Amino acid sequence: MPHAREHRVMGLKRISGGSSRETYAFDLEWSEGTETHTRPMIGRRDPTGGLLKSDREREFKVIAAMHRAGLKVPEPLYLELDASVMDRPFFIMHRAHGQTGMGAFPAAEPESTRAKVADDFLGELARLQALDYRESGLEILGPPKNLEDPARIQAAHWNEIYERDRMGEHYPILDAAFAWLKANPVVTDRIVIVHGDYRSGNYLYDENGIIAMLDWEMAHLGDPMEDLGWASMMFWGRDGMAGGLMEREAFYRLYEQKTGNRVDRERLFFYQVLGNAKMAVICLTGIRDFVERRTSDAVMPFLELLLPALFEDLANQLRLV
Amino acid sequence: MLRPTLNELLSGMQRTIMEALMPELTSPYAQGQAMSAIGMLAHAAAVLESAPTYDAAEIKDLRATFAALKRLGDKHVSKKSGLRGALARATRASAKTPPDWRAMETAMAAFATAVALGHADDSVARHVRGYIRRNLERSRNLLGASLPSA
Repeated sequence: MPHAREHRVMGLKRISGGSSRETYAFDLEWSEGTETHTRPMIGRRDPTGGLLKSDREREFKVIAAMHRAGLKVPEPLYLELDASVMDRPFFIMHRAHGQTGMGAFPAAEPESTRAKVADDFLGELARLQALDYRESGLEILGPPKNLEDPARIQAAHWNEIYERDRMGEHYPILDAAFAWLKANPVVTDRIVIVHGDYRSGNYLYDENGIIAMLDWEMAHLGDPMEDLGWASMMFWGRDGMAGGLMEREAFYRLYEQKTGNRVDRERLFFYQVLGNAKMAVICLTGIRDFVERRTSDAVMPFLELLLPALFEDLANQLRLV
Repeated sequence: MLRPTLNELLSGMQRTIMEALMPELTSPYAQGQAMSAIGMLAHAAAVLESAPTYDAAEIKDLRATFAALKRLGDKHVSKKSGLRGALARATRASAKTPPDWRAMETAMAAFATAVALGHADDSVARHVRGYIRRNLERSRNLLGASLPSA
């Protein structure tokens, strides 16, 4: 907005969600020539502590690449890495309308909305996985050297965070899970852009379907089964419903239709084990940051309550019960 | 008995947040944080009573499981998988007063890993799986009731 002047931030308020960053909603008003414009905005500022340690420049560039490619994402507008401006780095995006949920798609929503959201959810995933990361300018995400790397890199990455954030405790099921992941790596058939947190709860929707996919801070390059495995984990939708959207097997069939690629059950299983272990580690990171006073977010101690369900799923997967 | 008790204090603080603080909060974010704090105080009050029972049951079960594994003998607990060393450490940890819970959990992690990797024989796996099943049930009972609805 080179000719814009008299910028005014109106109705600034902090909002919940996006726990890896502080999130603010506001309207930006500015003058350009004789006209006054207003636009709804979201500001995401680096946290003092929280669930994830991620690079906001990387996240911003990924969202920008997705926007250029025509995927349903909020338009990224401004990135400020200089911490002196607002204490910590931040970026600003267009604020899309729509609702979101905490986890599984809300059971109370009409069937027609659920069907549209499910179709869009897998349609957007198919479009994401069809993108060439080089053409999208996303070599910054660090291409794996070979097809064996994605599984090994992700398992090692989350194991490292587990070692860092377990605060001296041993969680037998998590120890076993990381040992199993290390001993049973899978080999992908291609390298795609992975959202890293592709699930119900991370999109805005209305009665016409998905408006925008959110929370791209864990994006990386890897196996297409990783996002599918994460999205269909039991944790995000019990009762046989993937993400609360549709029955799990139908979900896989629709994925195959949308992408033209078959669901590899062995790789899917690996990434569902990794997903449960990763989610448990994300909980431990939040708990550690709360205990060590890097965050005062009252939601963080609740993460402890999520661990039994994750451990139970892992124990079932690894035949530990 | 000193009054208010810890439980009375915790429920009193929930009322303070709900009745004195909440009406003054205008931001939905702040209201959400206050509601989370109330939820966590309720959880603390519930756990305060049941945590000692949980802890005692955990330690008793770990001790019993390691004693059962020891009774299986060297034929079943292989040295190669590192389980014999883990069992020896667990036995020492459980004999301490008070028992070294963390060391016992570390040893149990080694056994769980061996089972997940298929490195433990059936008799060992049966005891380990039995412990994990009971542990999960105890955790579910302790923490599950406090889960906030999404």
